[in-house]
Amino acid sequence: MSQPAPVEVDRPAGDHDVTSDVPWIVVVWNDPINLMSYVVYVFQKLFGYPRAKATELMLDVHHKGKAVVSEGTRERCELDVARLHSHGLWATLQRSR
Amino acid sequence: MFRRRVRRGRSGTYELRIGTEERDVLRTLPGQLRELLVGGDRLEDPALRRLYPAAHLDDPAAAAEFDELAREELTAGRMEAIDTMLRTIDAPSLTGDELAAWLGAINDLRLMLGVRLAVTEESAAQDFAGDPEAEGTFELYGYLSMLEEEIVEALSDDVEGAGAFGAPPVV
Repeated sequence: MSQPAPVEVDRPAGDHDVTSDVPWIVVVWNDPINLMSYVVYVFQKLFGYPRAKATELMLDVHHKGKAVVSEGTRERCELDVARLHSHGLWATLQRSR
Repeated sequence: MFRRRVRRGRSGTYELRIGTEERDVLRTLPGQLRELLVGGDRLEDPALRRLYPAAHLDDPAAAAEFDELAREELTAGRMEAIDTMLRTIDAPSLTGDELAAWLGAINDLRLMLGVRLAVTEESAAQDFAGDPEAEGTFELYGYLSMLEEEIVEALSDDVEGAGAFGAPPVV
């Protein structure tokens, strides 16, 4: 289960600037290695979430396999994904719809 | 008997109560991570693929473009953490930034070892019985999990309030 199967992800419709006002989302996926406490810490540190919110997101990742942790422009989401990758979390970005 | 290895001291530093034997094990590890980062096959090595995951699930072109832009900086950050950990491997106490670097390097090491062992959330020592090398690696993985848990707990006091998770469960 080191590469949990990514499921039910909306397909990005295209890759053009025409729709750059459509919000993007950042998804963190479950993995069997990262510690629960570490994931909570990273969510707090990177996004400034209160501990309760960070814990709730971590538990969503743990139980549902993924959680949306931030949203915004594509650029903003790319930055967040890069920061999550630098902390060893498995994160992706996609259009919100 | 349990004694905390990582404790927040006065003036924002963190006391590291780690014995010589443990430090001698720890000092061998950052080099292994560096070897993976500079010498590993980025397409074939599952540990590297885990450290640099695709940013777009079903758009390989966008994922490749992201990788192109982000990879160098990501590697530089990892190398810096490795250098910091090696430089301070015998230090009795660390600054918050230094401890955060240890955390980054140790988490990367856990990812590297965990992928190599193909651990699951249910993995236990007996799964690796009969393979002395894997047994040793899993023991090391467990030690790093415990140490990381302590570091996170110490650093979390800074992020917000205090919080104690017990054993180190994985996500």
